[in-house]
Amino acid sequence: MTAVESDKMTTNTSTLPHSRPALPRIVTDAMPVVVMAVGGLAAFWLFPNDLGLLTRILAAALFVMSLDMVLGYCGIATLGHAAMFGTGAYAAGIVAVNWVSDPLALLAVGGVAGGLIALATGALILHARGLTLLMLTIAVAQIVQEVANKARDWTGGSDGLSGIDPAPVLGLFRFDLYGRTSYLFALAVLIVGFLVARRIVRSPCGLACRGVREEPLRIAALGGSPRRYLVSMYAVAGVFAGIAGALTAITSGIVGLDSVGFSWSAEAMIMLVLGGTGRLYGAVIGTVAFMAIHHILASTDPFHWMLFIGLFLMGIVLFLPGGIASLSARVLPLVKGGR
Amino acid sequence: MIDAPLLQVDGLSKNFGGLQVSSNISMDLRKGDRCALIGPNGAGKTTFVNLVTGVIPPTAGTIRIEGHDVTRQSAEARVRRGLIRSFQVARLFRSMTVREHLELAVLERTGRTFRLFANVRRIPGLADEVAELLEGMGLTAVAETAVGTLAYGQQRLLEIALALAMKPKVLILDEPAAGVPHSESHRILDALDRLPDDLAVLMIEHDMDLVFRFAKRIIVLAQGQLLCSGTAAEITADPRVREVYLGSRAHAH
Repeated sequence: MTAVESDKMTTNTSTLPHSRPALPRIVTDAMPVVVMAVGGLAAFWLFPNDLGLLTRILAAALFVMSLDMVLGYCGIATLGHAAMFGTGAYAAGIVAVNWVSDPLALLAVGGVAGGLIALATGALILHARGLTLLMLTIAVAQIVQEVANKARDWTGGSDGLSGIDPAPVLGLFRFDLYGRTSYLFALAVLIVGFLVARRIVRSPCGLACRGVREEPLRIAALGGSPRRYLVSMYAVAGVFAGIAGALTAITSGIVGLDSVGFSWSAEAMIMLVLGGTGRLYGAVIGTVAFMAIHHILASTDPFHWMLFIGLFLMGIVLFLPGGIASLSARVLPLVKGGR
Repeated sequence: MIDAPLLQVDGLSKNFGGLQVSSNISMDLRKGDRCALIGPNGAGKTTFVNLVTGVIPPTAGTIRIEGHDVTRQSAEARVRRGLIRSFQVARLFRSMTVREHLELAVLERTGRTFRLFANVRRIPGLADEVAELLEGMGLTAVAETAVGTLAYGQQRLLEIALALAMKPKVLILDEPAAGVPHSESHRILDALDRLPDDLAVLMIEHDMDLVFRFAKRIIVLAQGQLLCSGTAAEITADPRVREVYLGSRAHAH
């Protein structure tokens, strides 16, 4: 509010900052979907022996995307997002073992479970902000993990829940030994999930959540309740995380305590920061990058891979603060003639 | 009740412990009023705005909007009744565009923000209303610009546009020209001149040129009390005002 800023007004009113000559919206909208579909299918042909890993990556990407809805769009700092993922995974797993084995129904079960736990815990903890909130999210995940650990009859406790044997997708596509169905199923779920999530973050509610992230007091001044927006989006993201958990349960056939673990929450955050927050597709990029590097390094140098992951992360944070996804925003203008 | 003032403040007082920051302030605003609230630093102008808008509860007194007692109601409830304020320090969503700000304000007013699957760009009537607001404040050219990179004066104009987006009946402008260089304040004044006629406006401002050109009626606060009120000519002629306010400012300039 000083002279410097005041001066800006005089100059800027005549030379307004130009918005970049953008590609038509339909192109930019279709691009991530096309890349995901083509890339996903290419990986299917190129790495037929790694479909297990690739399927885990896809499910993780959906999970990280749901974290982006919370962290990137609402600004909720959370290290307990695995609570929703794990609840979805266990719910789908328990239902699959005892009652229903249709994979789409199981995804729905996971989504509902994830959404409900997010709604209940979100309503309890989202009055807090910053570090307090961070602590509370960790506490929630720890409680969920402990419940899963103690409820051995249902969850298998520390042995994990196994024996999940999903029926064929739509009654047509059997889950095969090589994981082909699993992979393609996960790819389809991820792409549909991306489209739905994008729709949501662009909705009026998504817009309001971005407002809460930036300036909650202003939202209140406009007559809105910041907390209601946060809780709604937290619950919606919980649905996505729950579906991601269910997808992991269906495609891997087991659910373990690590699916609710602290390190899973933390890794998801690392993947998101790596890829770039607030974009949704950044979550996919970050997950693919992190898990691929993790896999390659861990198999070539089992002793020092953590060090390289750490260096890689530091490099990204220092030199590409917007994450890998911000590369496109930086490189595209250069390609199009320096402006 | 047809003639009830849009805003009626009666005997408003606020104590912080033993410190009385507002005492027994009464005033009202009617349709079309262009009123300014002035006073030296520490006169309690900001406290008064916070009391009226419901940020802090008063110790005594009543606040009515169109005859409805809102003294015990929340800030949000008062907003819904049409009491809207703009902020002195720009509280804007820095990474969001000018258009998004106005979309959000209009959606909030019409209670459509909880639609999860609606496409903001396709909500009927929204684009037109936003275009009108942009035009009104001369912000059309910067509609797609992120607010964080906007010139300060334009942020102030957006601040006013945001308030207008909420279809206020009573508009409180908290230093609309704060931080804007004197040579540019006419832009703000031009924008203020285009405010809807039936709106009641209360402006808190230090820029005396702006105050005298905008306000038909001026209220002077000093030490938490209402000193006097009247037209620009009456105020400048009042010796008490000269003493507490204009005199000291005249020396400063």
